[in-house]
Amino acid sequence: MARTLAMFTDTSLCIGCRACQVACKQWNELGLETPEWTGTYQNHAHFTDKTYRLVRFLEVPGAHPNGDLAWLLMSDVCKHCAQAGCLEACPTGAIYRTEYGTVNINQDVCNGCRYCVASCPFGVVSFNEQTGTAKKCTFCNDRIHNGLGPACAKACPTDSIQFGFRDELVAKATKRVETLKGMGFKDAQLYGADSNGFLGGLNAFFLLLAKPASYNLPTNPQRPQRNVVVDSLLSIGSAILVGVGALLAFRERGKGDA
Amino acid sequence: MLKMPGWEMPIVWYFFLGGIAGGAYFTAAIADNFGSRRDHTVARVGYLLSLPLVAVCGLLLIIDLGVPARFMNMMLHFKFWDPMSLGAWVVGVFGAFTFVSSVLSFSSSESIAALRRKISLVGMLFGFFLAAYTGVLLSNSTMPFWAESRLMGALFLASGGSTGMAAVALIMFLTGGSISEGWHKIEVADRFTMLIEMLVLALFLAWLGSAAQPITSGHFGPLFWGGLVGGGLILPLLLNLFGGRVRVLGAVSAVLVLVGGFILRYVVVMSIQG
Repeated sequence: MARTLAMFTDTSLCIGCRACQVACKQWNELGLETPEWTGTYQNHAHFTDKTYRLVRFLEVPGAHPNGDLAWLLMSDVCKHCAQAGCLEACPTGAIYRTEYGTVNINQDVCNGCRYCVASCPFGVVSFNEQTGTAKKCTFCNDRIHNGLGPACAKACPTDSIQFGFRDELVAKATKRVETLKGMGFKDAQLYGADSNGFLGGLNAFFLLLAKPASYNLPTNPQRPQRNVVVDSLLSIGSAILVGVGALLAFRERGKGDA
Repeated sequence: MLKMPGWEMPIVWYFFLGGIAGGAYFTAAIADNFGSRRDHTVARVGYLLSLPLVAVCGLLLIIDLGVPARFMNMMLHFKFWDPMSLGAWVVGVFGAFTFVSSVLSFSSSESIAALRRKISLVGMLFGFFLAAYTGVLLSNSTMPFWAESRLMGALFLASGGSTGMAAVALIMFLTGGSISEGWHKIEVADRFTMLIEMLVLALFLAWLGSAAQPITSGHFGPLFWGGLVGGGLILPLLLNLFGGRVRVLGAVSAVLVLVGGFILRYVVVMSIQG
């Protein structure tokens, strides 16, 4: 595998211009959608099969360092998890990991079973009714294989989205958190940068100015497959009980009538 | 912020019919291997019922795909830890077992019967799997409620068993097979299975606590308590226990169990996606 690539989204630099969202839509030819009123500047409310980059506008009471309402901005995207629930769930092998560590859906193989949709801890993967397949951010797979960064990172005017080698970006992000803490942003933290942390680390990781919950992010996302052994063993237990019950009902005690 | 997979009525029907197919087959296999010669009717009805049901199951799965023509892509790939991948394979493999068992159930030759019994002991494992894995599939997701109890597979298995037995009993009643001793035995087996299902359901709810709210309260609450717990478990169990020799009460009990099994799949699948 080549050196792992990553996107680092520093929400402290985001100005909510949505250049990333537009660049993503244009480059990936994602097509028109009916807008949704969300009560904020955010549009759409969630990722869709035609929105892979989504700038979130969040008004969170008490999340400001001085205790006031915080107006948080975050350009959200597929996290390209090192332990990707969607990839593990995919029964056709359509979802695969590239040599750069990103997670991609082969649109020619996906048959639209939608288990990946139910297995994403972040609500990223979306089903497209027209193609009948699952859709999500490709990390601009075409661009990164031709020496270009993802369209969103390229378009970002404030370097809120940075693209590069993961180890270098994590080092940079760690320094940035310290700077922000020194400036009084006491809740400034990295989300998904730790490759020993949840989901083995995220290849699209974030710097947040408040707790993950303020951004509607799960505090401790988990692999959906983590319970498959326990659930299977308990199912086997149930099978033994039911099987023994049926056996007792049908068993011939005397064998005399056979 | 999570996204629902949009698994709706075809999947509810698949879970329900797959449970019956698995339950009917493993009950048939147990009756065939461990029962008496007179239980052969149970075995034959069970095998012959599971065959068309598993065929319908395969069709339901295919039509629910976004690109049905690509269903074979699941057969080009195998992940032993993935319920969706294993499930697709097992529908095919189990289907082959139901076909062979059904064909062999017509022979009166003792050597063929011995072969059929051996085959059904292996096929039975796939039947158990088909009845249970759909629950494990739901509980290994990131969805609220589905992913929060470790007993979804165990519950679906018990329900598959009770509905499979009820379906066999009902067919025997409707075709006049209820005069055989096998009818009484399958009634007893279904009684045990309903008791196990009630136990597993109680543990399931206890494990979930407030996370069970999508099915225990709100829009789906009355259906869950009235249709499954009351009408699909307690009432049929009472009819089964105290119906005595009134065979029609046994048949009513079987119908209620089947309706309850459908309601279980319906409330579990639809409640959080509604």
